[in-house]
Amino acid sequence: MKVITLLALAVFLVWTPPAIAKDPQPQFKSVEAKHFSRAEGVELSPAFSDYLYAELRAELTKAKLFGQVIGEDEVVDAADAPKSLVIVGTITEFKKGSVVKDALIGFGAGMRSLKVDANAARRSDQQNLTAIHVHVKVSPRWDEKVMARFAAKNIVKQLKDSLKSEAKAAS
Amino acid sequence: MSFSRGGSLKWCVLIACALLTTKAQAEDPKPTPENTIHVQLAEPVKPQTFSRPLKFFLVDVVDRSGSAQPMMVFKPRGGIFLDHTPTEITRAGLEACLKSVDMLAKDRDSADFLLTLYLFNFGLSESSKMDFFGKVEFAVMLKNPKTAKSQQISASGTSIAGVAFRKKNLQKNVQEDIEHAFGDALRNLLRGVKLRDAVAALDGPADVPGIRAQPAGTATPTAIEKPPQTN
Repeated sequence: MKVITLLALAVFLVWTPPAIAKDPQPQFKSVEAKHFSRAEGVELSPAFSDYLYAELRAELTKAKLFGQVIGEDEVVDAADAPKSLVIVGTITEFKKGSVVKDALIGFGAGMRSLKVDANAARRSDQQNLTAIHVHVKVSPRWDEKVMARFAAKNIVKQLKDSLKSEAKAAS
Repeated sequence: MSFSRGGSLKWCVLIACALLTTKAQAEDPKPTPENTIHVQLAEPVKPQTFSRPLKFFLVDVVDRSGSAQPMMVFKPRGGIFLDHTPTEITRAGLEACLKSVDMLAKDRDSADFLLTLYLFNFGLSESSKMDFFGKVEFAVMLKNPKTAKSQQISASGTSIAGVAFRKKNLQKNVQEDIEHAFGDALRNLLRGVKLRDAVAALDGPADVPGIRAQPAGTATPTAIEKPPQTN
């Protein structure tokens, strides 16, 4: 009896590690991030949009939620469209911040801030799957591109949480 | 305060050292086998399929970056250089992609479309200092030799890579970053909606009304300008 139990345990141990190591099947075949537009009055350097776009793509790749992170305006097969996401967004607000306020007052006063609204929609029917609102605050001494990095991380984190909760609700 | 003979000699040596160091730092880094990287596509990008089999011929690749040292991609820490010019790398990459699916014409006469590529950016762009931001940006003039009509398509590729402290890792990261950005730009061109639409517009008969293509001559190489940054 003991031998059988040990054999069963050995078989169990041999079979389970590959199952654990195997990456889960991505929920979506592909995702496309668009360059984010800017609301009126948002004064950021022209290179900021490119940098935010690059950071967002890098974070989407790291998230492993999607089979492929495709480029902007890339052709997608019609058969793959229902399993493809498109992320569009707008930079709604940017405050430069003040080094003087930050130094004299502190406690968050004079911080540089960025607000971004984004939507993730299914490519086939343009149905909105999730709405994302991100507010990033950094020191006014830091480069504005650091905000892009934090914003991209936040967007992908919110997207990941939303898609996971949706998948749980569906199952 | 008094200066002894030994003391003044020390001051002279110190000043001479300071001047020499400043001069050495002011000099631009030079390419050596140790600080030179080889950029190429890991694997060719598979172009999209068109309604009929098409052949493209790459006429020319023109550097419009305006950079005095196009092969130097990173200046600090002794510099990092490319082993070939960006135009040569771009030509080789694009031709390899077209060749991989038999879409590269042997000569101009056998081509359905002629491509002239204007390179605006190849290498690293300004980043947040916490990572490297690779960027490749170009415009392609697509011309139908039969109808003499042409249309411009822009494409760009970006990539983010982590910074490194060791020079060896730094070079590796920069190389990978540029390779990813380059692959991304070629993918943006060859699998993009813009190319599909341009081919659809130019591939039609010469006298079809409503074609947005420009007649040849209106888009001379000097008229090609860097596309405006997205705002």
